[in-house]
Amino acid sequence: MPIGKDEILRIARLGRLFVSEEEVGPLQRHLNGILEHFERLKRLDLEGIDPFALEEEATGFLREDAVSAWAGREEVLQQAPNREGDFFRVPRILEENEEEVSPDERR
Amino acid sequence: MNAVEIVKAVKDARIPATEITGKAIERIRQVDSEVRALLTPLFERALEKAAEIDRKIEHNQDPGPLAGVPVVVKDNLCMRGLKTTCGSRMLENWCPPYDASVIRFLEEAGAVVLGKTNMDEFAMGSSTENSAFFPTANPWDRERVPGGSSGGSAAAVACGYAPLALGSDTGGSIRQPAAFCGVYGLKPTYGLVSRFGLVAFASSLDQVGPFSRSVEDLALALNVLSRPDPADATSSRRKRPDYTACLGKDDLKGLKVGVVTEFENYPVQPEIREALAKIEAILRGAGAEFVPVSLPATIEAGLPCYYILAPAEASSNLARYDGVRYGISAKAENLMDLYMKTRGLGFGPEVKRRILTGTYVLSSGYYDAYYLVAQKARIRISREFREAFLHADLLLMPTTPTLPFRKGEHQDDPIQMYLSDVFTLPVNLAGLPGLSLNAGYSSSGLPVGVQFVGPKWGEETLLAAAEAVERVLGKPACALGGD
Repeated sequence: MPIGKDEILRIARLGRLFVSEEEVGPLQRHLNGILEHFERLKRLDLEGIDPFALEEEATGFLREDAVSAWAGREEVLQQAPNREGDFFRVPRILEENEEEVSPDERR
Repeated sequence: MNAVEIVKAVKDARIPATEITGKAIERIRQVDSEVRALLTPLFERALEKAAEIDRKIEHNQDPGPLAGVPVVVKDNLCMRGLKTTCGSRMLENWCPPYDASVIRFLEEAGAVVLGKTNMDEFAMGSSTENSAFFPTANPWDRERVPGGSSGGSAAAVACGYAPLALGSDTGGSIRQPAAFCGVYGLKPTYGLVSRFGLVAFASSLDQVGPFSRSVEDLALALNVLSRPDPADATSSRRKRPDYTACLGKDDLKGLKVGVVTEFENYPVQPEIREALAKIEAILRGAGAEFVPVSLPATIEAGLPCYYILAPAEASSNLARYDGVRYGISAKAENLMDLYMKTRGLGFGPEVKRRILTGTYVLSSGYYDAYYLVAQKARIRISREFREAFLHADLLLMPTTPTLPFRKGEHQDDPIQMYLSDVFTLPVNLAGLPGLSLNAGYSSSGLPVGVQFVGPKWGEETLLAAAEAVERVLGKPACALGGD
């Protein structure tokens, strides 16, 4: 079933993305086109495949979980759009939870 | 001069690195107003770095295997204290506090970074039209796109700004622009090249790799880039060979080249088919044998599989752009408002599309139907390739179904744009190496590319086969009257 305008806005909110009135139409059209293309996957025989099985041995690095000093703190804080001393400043967060929370947002 | 020749001239003190760098800068000043491959030039810094190389030569110190070689790098690779925009408004003025490992490897080897190149925003796109700043032109026809997302790097090498460039390839972003611009582009095996300091798009697919206009330069670059890196958990500890040692062979006797039978009926432009036949004849002439291989699931389901998994990973990776710690930040009343407005303002249309797609396929109720199925399809595709490589040492494939398309041609049709990567993205899904090479030019003068795909860690085979082609066709030409 094609995705409606309300559904686009719901997904956008899950993705924390403001979508303007002009953007909704094209996004809806494009997303529906993309989802239609995904239908091809259903024709594939995927019986018995464990999606989480490691097909090969990993050969990467695992480091010791050791603390090491890093001198870049000031450089990082300098990039903050809104800084107060050694803190990142954000708008108030406490009125947030009054809204209804969907299962996805709770996860 | 290619990179190998520059290194020799600089090490023999015949040409100072500063002179090489100066000439490269002159070339960029001559043509970049038309091509627009560079987002951020770093000319002063480059001349200082070149002077350091010259001082080393003067004091008989080893200047490194890439001594004095000019390079340009895609703008999603971090350079400490310098703008790294990813082609996005979101990071318009962001300066990272560290270097990407590959940048460090290049500079320690004596390479001179001339600038950061244009790209599709966050590497999402196949035309470099999704750059938030300006599009890059195809140097062979400025009405057409250079490919993407590493279009700036590919165009820069095609125009002779530098003999080497770095790009990143998540679904074809090195190989597709390499084909469109008529240069070599190598996407290494997943885990061969460090991604520390590469701004993440889809972490299970992203890989950094080089562009060049000669095979020996590609091999030389890979020697420097492929160092194991403890800073990247996916960097393999395997011992790396000397990639230049596989070059200079007389023939390809004993090499088995696979041709994918399912591609015979796939719509591909005739000039690309002709190029494939030409390359096949050259490889046969060098002693290679051809065998049919079959990749039915890959060709049927590669594209939808990729366009579920890559956006899913992207939507998660891009959650970090929240207006709090770095990047742009919108004025807002509360935290939710800050997130939504910042992201609405900072991301362009394609990035929004992918975040929405990714969020949708991961959301409750749809996860099993999309994400899990795609994950299984990915395993099926990997197995198909593994089976094919029991019979063949490498595969000969198109890089793209079409020649470079016109600017704006696919801008309102995402699926058409995505189809440009139909032959490249399965290679990322399976974590394999792929090399795109120029196979000549169309009747209208556009470059035609083809692709070699190898088994994991099979880079040497790809390079040797590409060299056999280069011996017959010569090195790719330089665009816009360069040399």
